[in-house]
Amino acid sequence: MSVIALSPKKIKKTKIWLISALLVLLLAVVAYTFLYLKHDATMTDVGNRLASPSWEHPMGTDHLGRDVLTRLLLGFRLTVGYSLIALAAAVIIGVPFGLLAGLRGGWLDRVFMRIADGFLAFPDTVIAIVLSGLLGPGIGNLLFAIVLVKWVNYARMVRSTVLTEVQKDYITIARINGLSTFTIMRRHLLPHIIGNVLVLASLDFGKIILLISSLSYIGLGAQPPTPEWGAMLNESRPYFQANPEMMVYPGLAIVVVVLVANVLGDYLRDKFDVKKEVQP
Amino acid sequence: MILSIKDLTVSHGEKTIVDHVSLTIDKGEWFALVGQSGSGKTMLSQAIGQLLGPNLRASGSVNYQESNILACSKTEMNQLRGKAISYIFQDYHGSFTPFLTIQQHMDEYLQTHGVKEKQKRNSMAKEALESVGLDAGFVKRYPFQLSGGQLQRASIALALLLEPDILVADEATTALDSVSAHRILSLLQELQQKTGCAILFITHDWRHVVRYSDKIAVMKDGKIIEVGTKQKLIHQPEHAYTKQLIQAAPTLPLRVREVSKS
Repeated sequence: MSVIALSPKKIKKTKIWLISALLVLLLAVVAYTFLYLKHDATMTDVGNRLASPSWEHPMGTDHLGRDVLTRLLLGFRLTVGYSLIALAAAVIIGVPFGLLAGLRGGWLDRVFMRIADGFLAFPDTVIAIVLSGLLGPGIGNLLFAIVLVKWVNYARMVRSTVLTEVQKDYITIARINGLSTFTIMRRHLLPHIIGNVLVLASLDFGKIILLISSLSYIGLGAQPPTPEWGAMLNESRPYFQANPEMMVYPGLAIVVVVLVANVLGDYLRDKFDVKKEVQP
Repeated sequence: MILSIKDLTVSHGEKTIVDHVSLTIDKGEWFALVGQSGSGKTMLSQAIGQLLGPNLRASGSVNYQESNILACSKTEMNQLRGKAISYIFQDYHGSFTPFLTIQQHMDEYLQTHGVKEKQKRNSMAKEALESVGLDAGFVKRYPFQLSGGQLQRASIALALLLEPDILVADEATTALDSVSAHRILSLLQELQQKTGCAILFITHDWRHVVRYSDKIAVMKDGKIIEVGTKQKLIHQPEHAYTKQLIQAAPTLPLRVREVSKS
């Protein structure tokens, strides 16, 4: 046995610490943006454009003299906020649909499955681009497109969970003892689903952030002067050679947040692993 | 007579699984339904509680207290279930929702059937566990914290909680070792004498049938081929298949003689 090798327990501990530390950091950033912002994110100051870092502007200013740090922090609220909204909408639409399709079956299930197959035949990004392209640029349309693409995954997953659980004896016994379908759904099925939904949602969270940012970058999502990270990247493109840091900051922000979301998702997936459920 | 089944037929598309079965079960009786796998025993028992899947159709009548169960509406059925008919299954691990404690299971069923006071529900749950020989402290435990035999006892406690008139035991002891199985069955017998419920005992194990049942029905290919009291079926089996079943049972000759003396 190698001396350097970490035990699985130790790795897990490190992972939890990493996640907690990153979460605390993110929460601190959010708290900061709510409590204290020195500059207005859209106030231009052309006389002081593309300034180097200083005490007044710790990350410098952009091509219109706006404070980059302020925009970055506000962008955190916007990007993460938009992703959460899209995610919540996808879950709220997808979960009841999946429950219904799984429990009822019949024509409802067949129609739903064909729709789901249709959506799943194309990659997420392609559908989102086509939809937001058709609906016109703007963050509202982009969010609508993302929800339309994402709800299918939740509905499908919930449906398959319901289909396997419904066959088990405890559901039969709950029915035998006279519980209503709604109670069975709420008390005996929903807790099974919540774990899976949570895992899928946290894994999706990063993907949605990327989707919003990348579509904003190509001009389909948030429009300038909104301090959305993807839009910021797009705006700083012409200044890339002279002032690369303008692009580095929002890019780095996206990487960090997506990374945290994925690590969190992995952790939750391990935590809710079905195989571990049986062990005392 | 507590339950009478008339011309019950269960079919799946063109295929008939249970074929015009008629049976009567008396109050407080231990009624054994014997037959090999695939003979339709389980389908018959599920039809009684309206538990058949959506692809299966049941016709005929199942009469309980002068009402036909097969014709009951959903709400009427929810009233009947648990109070009139209860089930215990082979898979005791699957009989409990994994993330609810034993108490939470019992609490829910008692609440559904109108026991309003929390105090009373708690004491009833504890009594139910004690009546099957388990420690009352087990109410706080999760299903995975109990052993197989304990879980099967707990599932009996759960099934008898609302004092049903009929308990359907569908291969309830098949997954247990023979010592535990006999313990569970004698416990059932004891509880039956106490509560006076009828037991529809579904099994393929002839040894249990010989030892515990009052009346026996033999089922083959969806049909009941022979019904009678235990004495009659053991000593004067009419049908060739019944004779075959008796001969195939892994029973010591000593045991047969002992039973026939009693």
